[in-house]
Amino acid sequence: MTVRHARVAFASLTAAALGSFLMPGSAVAGDPVAGKAVFQSNCVVCHANRAGDNKVGPTLWGVVGRKTGSVPEYTYSPANLGANITWTDAELDAYLAAPRAVIPGTKMAYAGVKDPTKRADLIAYLDTLK
Amino acid sequence: MFPRTPALFGLMALTAGLWIAPGAPAMAQDHPIPQALRIEQKETLEQLTALAARPAPVGPAAKDALALLQKHYAREREFILPPLTLLPQLADGKVTPDMAWALPMTERVRAEREQIFDEHAEATEALNALLTAAVEANDNDAKEFAESAAGDSLTDLEILEPTILMIGDALRAKLPAAH
Repeated sequence: MTVRHARVAFASLTAAALGSFLMPGSAVAGDPVAGKAVFQSNCVVCHANRAGDNKVGPTLWGVVGRKTGSVPEYTYSPANLGANITWTDAELDAYLAAPRAVIPGTKMAYAGVKDPTKRADLIAYLDTLK
Repeated sequence: MFPRTPALFGLMALTAGLWIAPGAPAMAQDHPIPQALRIEQKETLEQLTALAARPAPVGPAAKDALALLQKHYAREREFILPPLTLLPQLADGKVTPDMAWALPMTERVRAEREQIFDEHAEATEALNALLTAAVEANDNDAKEFAESAAGDSLTDLEILEPTILMIGDALRAKLPAAH
């Protein structure tokens, strides 16, 4: 297991444990409508939800299922380019909880979505961007 | 009149040192930041101050962002940005002993990278809040400001901070060993 995989596993485990403790069942199925509000209040200053629209961060259109560092016309940090992560819901959950714990050196200057319910909602919304 | 006794001279030197830079003798002298960045900071603070005077929800959100940026800019002026004033000379291949003042600053930037990053993360959060307020109030000025300021933050992380660290490396490599 690489250091990154260990970090992802640890972050996922921690997030799952916190989610179970704080809000039983909340990490299982998020609400995409609530997630859109989370997106608008947490992400939109840096990320667009339209295809091909890269801002400070890459577009989040199609983010679920794609690999790190793969959006055309976006200049990634070396850390994201080398992360070799496919953005599944579980990987996104870990990353959104603590971005620098999953990808040390990422230039995404964002502390993370600490509330597991909001995170689940956000991921449910990101799942619709395709 | 110059001091004549060693004790008085020592006391005056100590007093001067404390007066110039309490707790930070390595950065005892004030050094300017590049004029372009001075203008950028001034304009950003002016815009944000104007937004802070607007009614809720934009005003309070802008006030929060203003407080964070004022604190961050103070640190930028203190030790993050001054080494950038050496770039024109370094680009000409000139490294002289009088540039040594920048080394403690670049070393502090390297030591405090995580803290600086966290400050940018806090700013992002504040700008997200400002943008949310701007959308709610249909305030295009605030919306444009928030998105532009997020871009400035990325410029710091992608370009300025690595450049400052490289300036430190260049100075360390080329200055006489005494420095």
